[in-house]
Parts: sequence; structure tokens; C-alpha cells
Amino acid sequence: MDAGANTYLIRPNYKDKFKAGVAKECIREILREQLYGVQYNPEEVPTLSKSLADSIKNKLKDVGFDRYKLIVQVVVGEQRGEGVKMAARCFWDADTDSYVQDIYMNDSLFCVAAAFGVYYY
Amino acid sequence: MDEDQSAEETTFVVDEITTVIKEVVESTIGNSSYQHSKINQWMSNIVESSLNQLTKLGKPFKYIVTCIILQKNGAGLHTASSCFWDNTTDGSCTVRWENKTIYCSVSVFGLAI
Repeated sequence: MDAGANTYLIRPNYKDKFKAGVAKECIREILREQLYGVQYNPEEVPTLSKSLADSIKNKLKDVGFDRYKLIVQVVVGEQRGEGVKMAARCFWDADTDSYVQDIYMNDSLFCVAAAFGVYYY
Repeated sequence: MDEDQSAEETTFVVDEITTVIKEVVESTIGNSSYQHSKINQWMSNIVESSLNQLTKLGKPFKYIVTCIILQKNGAGLHTASSCFWDNTTDGSCTVRWENKTIYCSVSVFGLAI
């Protein structure tokens, strides 16, 4: 009998799925911490947005979604009363893959962070 | 022979995707000015048509398409993304497009299955 015959998982166990609640908390904490009281400054914002994206990605990696590929997108903009709209569509396996998003606003800037988790078969 | 073909089919080709997306954006908001009432419709159009065209390419990829439309009024906007994937097969591309009243930025992430 081959004991190791059917051990390769092609679907995550229920407990190992991309947990939206946990991921959303991660994003929320990081945005609150790093953007509290920050003013929009066109020279600093590029590095700020990159560091936000990296921190969020690292925090999600630490939480440990096994066999998930992660994509984090951060958009930071100045608040001047302009109209902004952001949309996303995905072509994936709805059973295993998922996304979370959070928005942070203060009076000089707004920030949208979206994290997508895609299962690697 | 066979291996060469399959290598091409399973890596993210940035140029092809950029062309597809540019066409889609041009045909949706090519000559329009920012109109708050039409934004929802434009957004859905751009994102859904892009996704449709990408899936027609028939490659073994999962796609994520995001689109940001911004009214031009002097404000600044920055986008950054950080990805945890397989560099040899996965990739992303961003297409920036503008006219007199609208900024549009479309990002496509492709993940190999």
C-alpha cells in the first residue's frame, strides 16, 4: 500500500483558506499606524506608498496563508475634492481565491489598500 | 520544440497585454470628458472588456485587473504594489492613459496556474 499516494492538496482545507477578516485587520492596523497625522507631501508619498505595500505584504506573509500568492496594491492620493473611482475584476477560482480592501482618509490624503490572495495549485 | 512553445505560453508577456489594455481604454473613454454620471459605466466597461480580452488569449493564467479613474484637478496620486509570487512565471503591467480631464491607470496582474 502506498501511504503517501494522495497527499498533494489541490484545494486548501477550510482552515487554510484566505481569511478575509484577518487580512482586513492587518491592512487596517498598518494603514492607521503609518498614516496617522501624515500630510500629503509629493516628495515623500512615493516612498510612503511603496513602504506601505511592502509592510502589508510582509504582515500577510507572517500570518501564514500557506500556498497562497499575494498581491497588495496601495493607492495614495491628495484630498482636493476631485472625483476618484477604483474598480477591480478578477478571473480566478472563486472557491479558493479572495481579496480584501480597506480605505483610510484624513483631511489631506486618502489611501486605498487592496490585497488579493490566489491559491497555487 | 514542445518545451519552447510551452515556456512562451506560461510566462506573462507584458507587451501583448499592454496593447490589449490600451485599445480597451481608448475605445471606452477615448474622447470623453469627466462626467460623474458616466463613471460607473466606464469603469465596468473598461474592467470587464479587459478581462474578456485577456481570457480570450487562452493562456493558463489567473488575472486580476484594477482600474483607477481620476478627475484632473491638480491633485496628486500614487500607486504602489508589492507581490509575493513566482518571478519566473507571474507578472504585472500598468497602463497609464490621460486626456484633458481624465487620468486613467489600469493594472493587470497575471498569475500562472
